[in-house]
Amino acid sequence: MSSSRPNASAAKLFSRGVNWIGPPILLFIIVVGVWFVVTHLHEIPKYLLPRPEQVFEAAWNQKGMLAGALWLTAQESLCGFGLSLVIGVVIAFAFSQSVFIRRSCYPYAIFLQTVPIVAIAPLIITWFGNGFKSILLVSIILSLFPIITNTTTGLISVDANLVNLFRLYNASRWQILLKLRFPHALPYLITGAKISSGLSVIGAIVGEFLVGYSQTEIGLGYLILQSSAQLKTAQLFAAVIASAVLGIAIFGTVNALGNRLIANWTDTPSDNVNG
Amino acid sequence: MMTPVTKRFFSLSLLLPLAVALIGCSDSSTNTSPPPNDVSAANSPASVEKIQLQLNWFPEAEHGGFYAADLNGHYTAAGVEVTILPGGPNAAVIQKVDQGDVEFAVASADQVLTGRAGGAKVVAVFAPLQMSPRCIMVHEKSGIKSLAELKGVTLAMSPGAAYAEFLKKKVPLTDVKIVPYPGNVTQFLLDDNYAQQGYVFSEPFDAKKEGGDPVALMVSDLGFNPYTSILITSEKTIKENPELVRKVVAAVTKGWQEYLDQPEATNKRLNELNPAMGLDVLEYGVEALKPLCVTEEIDISKMGAMTPQRWNDLAAQLIEAEVIDSGSVKPEEAFTTEFLPTSAK
Repeated sequence: MSSSRPNASAAKLFSRGVNWIGPPILLFIIVVGVWFVVTHLHEIPKYLLPRPEQVFEAAWNQKGMLAGALWLTAQESLCGFGLSLVIGVVIAFAFSQSVFIRRSCYPYAIFLQTVPIVAIAPLIITWFGNGFKSILLVSIILSLFPIITNTTTGLISVDANLVNLFRLYNASRWQILLKLRFPHALPYLITGAKISSGLSVIGAIVGEFLVGYSQTEIGLGYLILQSSAQLKTAQLFAAVIASAVLGIAIFGTVNALGNRLIANWTDTPSDNVNG
Repeated sequence: MMTPVTKRFFSLSLLLPLAVALIGCSDSSTNTSPPPNDVSAANSPASVEKIQLQLNWFPEAEHGGFYAADLNGHYTAAGVEVTILPGGPNAAVIQKVDQGDVEFAVASADQVLTGRAGGAKVVAVFAPLQMSPRCIMVHEKSGIKSLAELKGVTLAMSPGAAYAEFLKKKVPLTDVKIVPYPGNVTQFLLDDNYAQQGYVFSEPFDAKKEGGDPVALMVSDLGFNPYTSILITSEKTIKENPELVRKVVAAVTKGWQEYLDQPEATNKRLNELNPAMGLDVLEYGVEALKPLCVTEEIDISKMGAMTPQRWNDLAAQLIEAEVIDSGSVKPEEAFTTEFLPTSAK
């Protein structure tokens, strides 16, 4: 527990690191290994399943474009995710204040979850034009709902006795919300944020597909469409892997920040659940 | 004793053979497709070969000849039963032909070359549209009279389309904002500074019907002119059953010649299959098709002809536009005129 022996603690830190990074790396090696063997044993056309080294080559040859695309899509996803977080929490605050608000607005929140983006894409373009704003909107539509619903659940599932206790001490509505309900809702909010982190990347890519732009600024979504249209499957794989890396990076950040936040409030960090 | 981690890996290792089996399956599916000449068919005099023709889009005027061949009985007369499969945005024609899911498909010449660059062994055998119908549709009031003058507009094109990459290379496109093609003419009608891709026999007609003022600027005027609505098959089919290819090419040649001459019955059929294509747009379409199919060099008796020069030029343009890598295709392997009627060779 204590750090009185720096060597031991460094070793512990190292072994903890290996425990974390080791398994996914091992799996990665196995998957790439099987992929390599299969594509070298069978004669599979390149457009169907390129060899791992062809994907690497495509990524390397296009590294400038790929990095630019990754950066643009990262901006879209991060902005979409950040706005979802803020908007979602504000809406959940409102929902937690009255059953009436909740009942009247919930169906419309569910609408966000079920609306087919393809169907409203022309509308989004008409309202906001092609480009960043519209892509952001698609990303928000896709990633908002888990934040609203999870945070609301957390805010309203507070132990009634605790609420009574707060009232006994003449706590205001606002104080109950900030000092009791919100801390209680934090683990829920973080779970919602973890779901949304991946959805925001999907939203950005779908947004680029439908309402995006393509000439000077190329995102991963555009790159995926382009590679697919030209049957450049190796380049397609590289773009898909880049978007997965982006999703994992955002998820990992949310996870780490979340655990740190929760550590102050609970004694069971979600660390063990989500690795 | 296993640690939790090794246990987890143990269960993962059980999944691996499954993954291998799945890939193996997709590989073997090419072998399980019925042999083109099975014994019973070869023995019986009234034998019929059953094959499939995959379209690249929903049935429309650009497929007229393939349907006319069916309506006028040319497939049946040759002893072939052809099922025409309608396509759509994800028709995957190149992949399906290469995998042997279908024997024939309709594609454009640039798709054949990009497909071959990706490892698909597909070959063009018949090219009804000598001139590409690809156009960029602008508003008349924009004053833009040629593609070189395209500036200050929003331009909707399919990401990655070969012609789009070529256009970006050849035209400065000053202040042009390129956006994904939305699949209809709604945005065009709403915005006077909007230009979009189209087929000359389809989108301009739709826009005019809805009260728009479209002007079609042909991409072929820039020199990018891939054969369109071509019939493709696989190297395997050509090698194993050249007679089938000959029969089908002969049938579609007649079909196309008849469609351009008397399109009414075929258009009716197209309209039944794809009600979104009204008889009026189909009528307009076939008139717009005629000058694309029959040119000064290629009269109607030479229907379907292709030249090495055109294929070489196209390959060079695709390399220049960075759609395919230099040296990734041999244009002479991408097509053959072997099966065309003598008049078209």
